[in-house]
Amino acid sequence: MADRTRRGVLAAAASLPLLAVSGCKGVGALAPPPRPGPDVRVLRAAIAAEEAMIARYGTAITRFPGLAKTLAGLRAEHRLHLAELRTRLVIPPGSPYRSGFTSPSPRPAGSPGAAAALPAGQAAALDFLQTAEDSAAAALLRGLPSVPPSLAQLLASVAASESTHVAVLRSAAG
Amino acid sequence: MSGTAVGPGTVSALQAALAAEHAAVYGYGVAGAYLDGPARTAATADWYAHQVARDTLEAMLRQAGAKPVAAAPAYQLPHKVNGPVSATALAVLLENRVTAAYLGVVAVSDLAVRQFGARAMAAAAGRAASWRGRTVAFPGFPPSAFS
Repeated sequence: MADRTRRGVLAAAASLPLLAVSGCKGVGALAPPPRPGPDVRVLRAAIAAEEAMIARYGTAITRFPGLAKTLAGLRAEHRLHLAELRTRLVIPPGSPYRSGFTSPSPRPAGSPGAAAALPAGQAAALDFLQTAEDSAAAALLRGLPSVPPSLAQLLASVAASESTHVAVLRSAAG
Repeated sequence: MSGTAVGPGTVSALQAALAAEHAAVYGYGVAGAYLDGPARTAATADWYAHQVARDTLEAMLRQAGAKPVAAAPAYQLPHKVNGPVSATALAVLLENRVTAAYLGVVAVSDLAVRQFGARAMAAAAGRAASWRGRTVAFPGFPPSAFS
């Protein structure tokens, strides 16, 4: 119940500019729409980070088939993280803050951008992924003060999951 | 953390985490007796980790002006422990419960305590994954939470 209520609040906050525009005389009479709150910004960053991790794992799975089973398992958990994070933020179509932070799908595995983010060799790639997981978890923890309790719990859980990924990657690296 | 800045919700969450740590200290004492070799070594290390966490929580609660909840004289085990498999299952369960308890700490309004809870969650989730042999997407939450 608390989560549902909070989701409603986040969605309402994101839609404020639209409501203001539709309920008043014109855009010119309005002050600039309020910027998204800190909790929305934390969510945006978390969503973007998950998308980037999924892309990196996609590249790694393609390049290193011998590690595919292990890496696919970790990627599957990132996909679950991403799906849940996206449910916490509803941005109405047409919102001035919609674009640029909720891409409809992760960058395709093996795309030039994703490949550029991953070193070529297996050992270096595993090391890179460890660092990326560690950094992602740390970023989530930095966001905890800015979000309401139910979202803090989700972020902390995702961060804990990503911390466990580091150990798996370290083991895979031998 | 000071005694005046900590609300009852924070104290309650810390007490719940402390109760989980007490149970973990007891449980690892049982599980370790049925493990050998590296597993025994890991159980001993985790047993010590829970003792340190217990002491930390007790100190935090005293600093907040609260009386730390005491350990029970004994705990009813969730299943019979009579060998390495059941001992390992007990370790997983203990860590899952500790992780869930710290999830409650993450929800408090005191931001320093919230960060402390998140770090403790990560540590417990790591130990749970090690005993379980695999990771999970949402440590601390019940498996059905996001299905």
